[in-house]
Amino acid sequence: MFGKSLFKQSCKANGTMWIIITVAVCFMLSCVMLIAGNGDLGDTKVVIEDAIVEGELTAQTQGRAIEYYSLTDETLRFFDSRFQSEFAAFSQENDMQKAIATAYTKALFAVKNEYYPLLLSHMGYASQSVQAQELMGIVFYSLNPPETDANGIPTGKNQFDDFFDYGTLGIAPPDYTVYLSDILNNPQHAERRQKYAMTQASIFLAGNMIKEENVTLILNELSQYHITPEKFHDFGFDDFSFIRRLSENTVVNYRANFAYRWEHKQEDETEESIKQNLTAELACGLLSALPDTVSDALKEIGAADLYGTLVGSIFFKMAGLLLPIIYMIMTANALIAGQVDSGSMAYILATGTKRKEVAFTQAMYLIGSLLAMFLCTTLTSVICFAIVDVNTKLTYGKLLLINVGAFFVLFAMSGICFLASCVFNRSKHSMASGGGLNMFFLVATMLGLFGSPVLPSIIRMKALNTFNYVTIISLFDVVSILEGTLTYLWKWGILVAIGIICYVAGSVRFAKKDLPL
Amino acid sequence: MKPIIEIKKLTKDYGEGRGVFDVDLTIYRGETFGFVGTNGSGKTTTIRNIMGFLQPTSGAVYVNGKEARSHSSEIVRNIGYVPGEIAFPDLSTGTEFLRSQAEFLHTSDMSYAEYLIEKLQLDPRAPLKRMSKGMKQKTAIVAALMANPSILILDEPTTGLDPLMRDAFLEIVREEHDKGTTIFMSSHMFGELETTCDRVALIRNGYIIDVVSMQDITHRKEKEYKIEFSTENDYIRFKQLDYTVVRDQPQYHQATVSVTSEQIEKLLRDLTNYNIKFISEVTYNLERHFKTILNQKKENETYVR
Repeated sequence: MFGKSLFKQSCKANGTMWIIITVAVCFMLSCVMLIAGNGDLGDTKVVIEDAIVEGELTAQTQGRAIEYYSLTDETLRFFDSRFQSEFAAFSQENDMQKAIATAYTKALFAVKNEYYPLLLSHMGYASQSVQAQELMGIVFYSLNPPETDANGIPTGKNQFDDFFDYGTLGIAPPDYTVYLSDILNNPQHAERRQKYAMTQASIFLAGNMIKEENVTLILNELSQYHITPEKFHDFGFDDFSFIRRLSENTVVNYRANFAYRWEHKQEDETEESIKQNLTAELACGLLSALPDTVSDALKEIGAADLYGTLVGSIFFKMAGLLLPIIYMIMTANALIAGQVDSGSMAYILATGTKRKEVAFTQAMYLIGSLLAMFLCTTLTSVICFAIVDVNTKLTYGKLLLINVGAFFVLFAMSGICFLASCVFNRSKHSMASGGGLNMFFLVATMLGLFGSPVLPSIIRMKALNTFNYVTIISLFDVVSILEGTLTYLWKWGILVAIGIICYVAGSVRFAKKDLPL
Repeated sequence: MKPIIEIKKLTKDYGEGRGVFDVDLTIYRGETFGFVGTNGSGKTTTIRNIMGFLQPTSGAVYVNGKEARSHSSEIVRNIGYVPGEIAFPDLSTGTEFLRSQAEFLHTSDMSYAEYLIEKLQLDPRAPLKRMSKGMKQKTAIVAALMANPSILILDEPTTGLDPLMRDAFLEIVREEHDKGTTIFMSSHMFGELETTCDRVALIRNGYIIDVVSMQDITHRKEKEYKIEFSTENDYIRFKQLDYTVVRDQPQYHQATVSVTSEQIEKLLRDLTNYNIKFISEVTYNLERHFKTILNQKKENETYVR
């Protein structure tokens, strides 16, 4: 069945082209894999991803600023009323200073034992939880209660005097004394209270956020979005004055907006609903501000495995197939139809080689050379993958499967070309039919890619997806391989079946037909 | 004599009157058979059928008693084939090609090939792509002959060869003939067939018109002589004698007469009475023979019509 001399002759005749094409394909593949692996693959993707993260961070911070402010303000309002009533009770019999001190202690006690537990149960936090700790900080920071040691004896300092490293931050610990006198003396105290609440809440928020353990926590959370400490620093969320300013701006906005809306409130609006709406508006993230489709698209880009798509769908399904297809078209034609057309087949047949042997040997050469070509690309891709270090779903196993898949596609396509080469006596007819059909498949794949789900929906042209249904290259399911499903297996089965049928049909036809030699 | 190639009622109809029709030929062992006809008359189609490359529409070809189409790969082992259109496999040099052919033929003895190369003054080291038509033809001839096949099928083997090389080639053909090789050779040149072939067939428009033995042509009973007379007077006087004048050219005082071998002596004696400028024998060759036959055919056809 197998003609050794003929195989040798085919190797000599097509070997040079094989080497050139293989080298070119491997070179292209290594360029794609190395450059994409080491360079800035998808600057836009990174920028979008960063913008989304930054937007979310800002939104979260703003939301917290409003929350902190509201809590502080509410606490202060409760404190104020208690302070005022206690002061009124004491001021007659005592001197001013003493009365203030007593009223402060009493009011503070009320906050601690009445207001805070109520708030805690209202929020639904367990008493020793992290949230409870945080809430306690928010509630008491602006009041800065006196510190007591383990036995309940005052240490002479206040609880929050050393809470932050005030020296480096360039601010003073919360000083409530000024505030206390303001309660009594200022008729516009409500305004002052809100400002005080805003300042202290913002400081508390900013101070907390830049604490090292909190920064580490946030960075850990963000690492899945490829946010490095440098980027985080660029965003500014480890900078005290930035966060404080952001927070204060938000609160100013919130207050101004609230005042305006309260003044022009609709009938069905309550204070609570206005506050809720405002918070939602001011503290909304980048994504939630956009229409759903756009935000989905952006999320998709952020999550896209660009490297896997590039190597699998763009290289091995399109760019990397082009040259092997050209080689395959030319070789399939040269192996049978070209030699019949020129007449050189006469020298093979006139030496007593059976036609079946000719067809079988030439088919073996074609399949073998393609197999060898994809062994080379497999080797190249594995080496390149070992060199680069990228974040991708691709693994060595999947890379291997992708190479095998590309070979199966070429096997099926070469079958079609081989069949055409066996059916037609003229090179041009064989090229035009077999080659033309395969080129159509490739071009359809290219067009289809722009409509296929592997592209982010933002640049996808849905109508072009139709092309994916008219090309056999679609049976090479890179997405399934990358995602680890098994759909690619039955599609491979079809490809192999197409190839075998075409090769057998071609051989039978060649053995039977008239040869103009 | 044992028949080697038998073509029996072979028809290969390509439609529109092209192809070969009802071809009946038998080529015997050791015979050199010529096959002559104009371009497109069906020579190559007949040869492709002998090689078993084509499926006949009807009829069959037998080589060594085996049906050609179904036993193609067996019968061609005994055949050395020079195709009408020379195209080599995609290899670099002539040497490489010849070596590859030797491998296909499972022969390692290149001595005869070297003898042929020398005889044809071929430089096989030249790249195949840069070979002239003549060089390609020579290479093809060497490839066909080098394994010493018992049958040679040569499709217009001398095209592209210069006259010297043609003679060298025809000498090789004669040597092969002497060795006992059966040779089937097509050509559109009568001259080279005349000197090499035992029998020649004429094909026209796919039909065999005539098969003639060269023996009959060269050893014909009737000979023709062309005589030019010095004076018109002599010319007129000569014409009054009882000879068959086949061609008359009064303006040159020339007459061509046809005589049987018995009459030659009488003619020469008669001519002593005249002043003649020259006398020459008009050879009856293949070309004339076939032309005569074709003319007869045409007349018949016109008559039938």
